[in-house]
Amino acid sequence: MSDVLRIENLGHSYGKFKVIEDISLSIGKGEMSALIGPNGAGKTTFYNAISGHFPPTKGKVFLNGEEITGLTSHKVVDKGMCRSFQITNIFSELTVLENVIAPLIIQRGKHFKIYGNIFKDKQIVDSAMQTLEQVGLSDRADQVVANLAYGDKRLVEMAIVLARKPSVVLLDEPTAGMNPEETENMIALIKKLATGSGTTFFITEHDMKVVFSLAEKIYVLHQGHLLAQGSPEQIRSNEQVQEAYLGRKVHA
Amino acid sequence: MKLLRNRWFGPAVLTVLLLLAPLLISTYSTMILSEILIMGLMAISFNLLLGYTGLLSFGQGAFFGLGGYCAALMLQAGYQNLFLLLLVGMLISLLAALVVGFFSVRLDEIFFAMITLGFGMLFFSVAHNWLDVTGGSDGLPVFVLPSLNLFGTELTFYDPLNMYYLVFSIVLVGVVLLWLIVHSPFGLILKAMRENKQRVSFVGGNVQLLRIVAFAISGAFTGLAGVLFCLFNSMATPEFMHWSFSAKPVIMSIIGGTGVFLGPLFGAGIFFLLEQVIILFTENWMLFLGIVLVPIVIFFPQGVFGTLRNKIFREGAK
Ligand SMILES: Nc1ncnc2c1ncn2[C@@H]1O[C@H](COP(=O)(O)OP(=O)(O)O)[C@@H](O)[C@H]1O
Ligand SMILES: [Mg+2]
Repeated sequence: MSDVLRIENLGHSYGKFKVIEDISLSIGKGEMSALIGPNGAGKTTFYNAISGHFPPTKGKVFLNGEEITGLTSHKVVDKGMCRSFQITNIFSELTVLENVIAPLIIQRGKHFKIYGNIFKDKQIVDSAMQTLEQVGLSDRADQVVANLAYGDKRLVEMAIVLARKPSVVLLDEPTAGMNPEETENMIALIKKLATGSGTTFFITEHDMKVVFSLAEKIYVLHQGHLLAQGSPEQIRSNEQVQEAYLGRKVHA
Repeated sequence: MKLLRNRWFGPAVLTVLLLLAPLLISTYSTMILSEILIMGLMAISFNLLLGYTGLLSFGQGAFFGLGGYCAALMLQAGYQNLFLLLLVGMLISLLAALVVGFFSVRLDEIFFAMITLGFGMLFFSVAHNWLDVTGGSDGLPVFVLPSLNLFGTELTFYDPLNMYYLVFSIVLVGVVLLWLIVHSPFGLILKAMRENKQRVSFVGGNVQLLRIVAFAISGAFTGLAGVLFCLFNSMATPEFMHWSFSAKPVIMSIIGGTGVFLGPLFGAGIFFLLEQVIILFTENWMLFLGIVLVPIVIFFPQGVFGTLRNKIFREGAK
């Protein structure tokens, strides 16, 4: 029962169209795992169903031993799981610092406080700055996010997700749309954040290179089903996986 | 220029000007200025929703009218305490806004505008048709205005000058409170919801509840403006709740600028100025307001005040 995130027989359909089916997995504390699959495999749907974007049509989700199936997004966050989106999801016209302070205000239950200056709350500002330090944005704290480069906007979302120090972090294609240099930096950043932090990272990717360089454990999603799971070596040598679509890439 | 860019310079000058204005202008103009301040308070309250939370409410007249009727009914029943009138007016509007908000905040954009418009029309119909209580289309006249005992002197408000300073003081308090709210932690979350309500929800915020609270606060201050208008007007009429009245804070905020705190107040000023000027030439002032509105929206994308302010601040940054 030391699993941080456990998923039992999860399934989701849009109408009659079954996108994912019968997915079961469990992730231990501090693990760095990845869900891979080509575009359209159902990765985002899987995230949406476990993070409260919509309830799954089948199955159960447990976070730190507690069932969270079907809870709405803000309750899932309160339970300790926070996510990023494939398409950058941030507060564009606010400053970088405000982007990170907003989650902290909510976490400390100050979001209904209608007086006072939050920037004078040393605890919150320090905590926000510490998170910005982690992702390398502390020198841009006062900039309006809309004016940042694309890669930096993705970092802002990372900071938003990390701000509340969730026990589980879900990242939906964290390198989507990034150039090779930004991708490399992002991988390095996730590695740095994951090692020794005790935070459980679960990312989705369609880019194999990214996954094999990052994850300790890989889940392969194929046509809505979990085709295989295991260490990068196990996945690389799994015949089913090779047949399905890793194919030539791995042989080569 | 440097002084202009100080964040307190503008508001300080404005306050002094508003304090001195009645000494320099005619009684008629002083009355217009009172009305501008009342509508300015309504518009700033409205803009808490549009500019800060990203919700276009088209039913603010309901809460304005509720404040007004509350005051008229209490005065007719003999309640003469000014502060009680203001407080009860605010409270009733707050409660009504909680209910309307509860049903409305699930919707977004045009659908939110439509449902609030619908509620507004509902309130208007009640005010218009419930003869026994509201006096129907005639409205509720107020014969005795409350007075205020200030340091031993009994102030009455039949004199337009006294009325102006009453309006000025209450609007000032209301605007300062709204400023504090906008700059509070709650205010930051409102702006975050305006930017991206999904993200707020995915960092743990209950968007519906936050919106209901924003709607209720906006309603309360709109009700406060309504109480003042009832006193100023010596009357509460169903017209306060008419949809065309609800359109006023929308137009004022867009003219002045929704992105600046005081923008809607300036919008109210411009609105009344235009009305005064246009009425000199034609009866049909709404038509000409429309004609003036179009270039304003095109040439001042952030409102007149918003665009000018941005110019000043940007030049300073160079
Ligand atoms: N809201 C939706 N309604 C209907 N079908 C959808 C919806 N979202 C995604 N799909 C379909 O579900 C499948 C999986 O999509 P998605 O979960 O986005 O995959 P991935 O993230 O792995 O690329 C795709 O075929 C997609 O077209
Ligand atoms: Mg996806």
